Amino acid sequence: MQGPSYTRDRCITGVHGLDEILRGGIPYGSTVLAAGTCGSGKTTLGMEFLVHGAATGEACAHFTATEPSVKLLENIRQYPFFDMNMVDSGLINVFDMDVLYSWLGLEKATFDLDDVHALIKSITDIVNTIGVTRLVIDSVTTLCYKIKSEQLIRDFLFTLGKKLATLGCTTILISEITSATENAHWSSFGVEEAICDGIIVMGDVERMGHLLRFLQVVKMRGTSHSRAKYTLELTPLGVMLTPMLKWGTTVDKIQGWGG
Amino acid sequence: MARKGFTFDPEDEEYFGDVGSFGVPKFDIEMRGGIPRGFTVIGIVETGAGAELFAKQFSSPAEEPENTLYVSTAESGNEILRVFSKYGWPDDINVRTIGEEYNDRVLEKELQASRYRLQGFDMKDIQTLAQTRFVEEEADDFLTELTNEIMTLKPYFRAVVDNMDFFFQRDDHSRVVSMLRMMQAHTQMMRGLLLMTVSADTVSKAMESEITMIADMVLKFEVFMVGTEFETRMVVKKFRNAPENLAVVTYRVTPEEGITPETVQRIA
Repeated sequence: MQGPSYTRDRCITGVHGLDEILRGGIPYGSTVLAAGTCGSGKTTLGMEFLVHGAATGEACAHFTATEPSVKLLENIRQYPFFDMNMVDSGLINVFDMDVLYSWLGLEKATFDLDDVHALIKSITDIVNTIGVTRLVIDSVTTLCYKIKSEQLIRDFLFTLGKKLATLGCTTILISEITSATENAHWSSFGVEEAICDGIIVMGDVERMGHLLRFLQVVKMRGTSHSRAKYTLELTPLGVMLTPMLKWGTTVDKIQGWGG
Repeated sequence: MARKGFTFDPEDEEYFGDVGSFGVPKFDIEMRGGIPRGFTVIGIVETGAGAELFAKQFSSPAEEPENTLYVSTAESGNEILRVFSKYGWPDDINVRTIGEEYNDRVLEKELQASRYRLQGFDMKDIQTLAQTRFVEEEADDFLTELTNEIMTLKPYFRAVVDNMDFFFQRDDHSRVVSMLRMMQAHTQMMRGLLLMTVSADTVSKAMESEITMIADMVLKFEVFMVGTEFETRMVVKKFRNAPENLAVVTYRVTPEEGITPETVQRIA
């Protein structure tokens, strides 16, 4: 006897091509690790995810730890898809982690257990109070650098993910990695990838003398998805994903991933 | 006399003279005229010995009020001015209350942070947080600020820091000593008078030795029981180039003169 079919509700990312890869979007309440090398389009992807939510009236939040929010907004507002009114009207709330640290008395080199709990409480407070349904933390790597113990990083990510899921918030944690090759880890600390519900890897691959950006969904709990590699282009309209044709040159196999 | 890189106005030299007053006339007499200009005095104090009053009294001659600085790390501005007013000492000198600044700049911020951590954010806090783009860069390095402030004082200045415990408790001791050396050098160069107090037992014996090595004059303020009464005394432990001034001075506090020496016993 066949049981009733069940499909989890999806959070439509609005990123061209990504929802198709995910068969409809990210399952609601998931915590997804967007791991990528420098310049691979992580921040743009994250912001586009928020813009799409804001466009449909969802409350969104962006925590920036890698660059000041002023700089982030100046860079992102050059994209026609981004509307500064979304920030001004409070649909997209951009928080500087440095400011949050200062408010919480966390202006120190390393965080202990109490500090980590204070941080989780603050983020979930914000999500709960504003009713945030889409959240981006850019980057979780910068944040976790302050947490010295691997166990504490694990606790932080696990507890944060659990609480955000309970609040119905779909989260993208941006992770900086130095290499997106097949032997590389998809996270800086090795624990993020195990805890998150999904992993999206972004990087560069050389092909016929050109350096192409690629995106690949490695893992996504709660949905079937393509595991193929897609070419990622940063266009004025945002991120655009197109299937990457297979290749087979020696150079590609050495420098690429999963060739 | 011209010193390295600095020339003094002959009129100033005549006006200020070679020595300045301790602010305690009887003590000036015992110390053969007063304290040589350019001296850094370290007061090692015991609680209840009246050293806070002595510190204020030391600043009271205020030859140039605008070039006289009183720094307190524990008292409020009002408390200090009340004492100056009580004894009729000039109250137009520069007073800096680092203790109060610390409360405003550091402790209040810490209290607010504790509130956020305990109670979380409300909607108004979140809106403000989302609109705050920069962290207020407030330097809370009071030791550097103190050193800078002393270093900007002009020739023949008079300055008091009551007391250095605040810095020894918050900063690396070797850093405090480095700053102390800079202040001592500036005092010497500018022929200023600088008094800094430090509580006995705040620093280790080794550190105390280092401080007393830097100082030109060391005064130890003691309080002890004689029978059923307290007695206060000041031991002049070091007087650079004038060991004949080393003495044990018993004193009491009078409403008219503040610290008033009673008996003097020579050591050397």
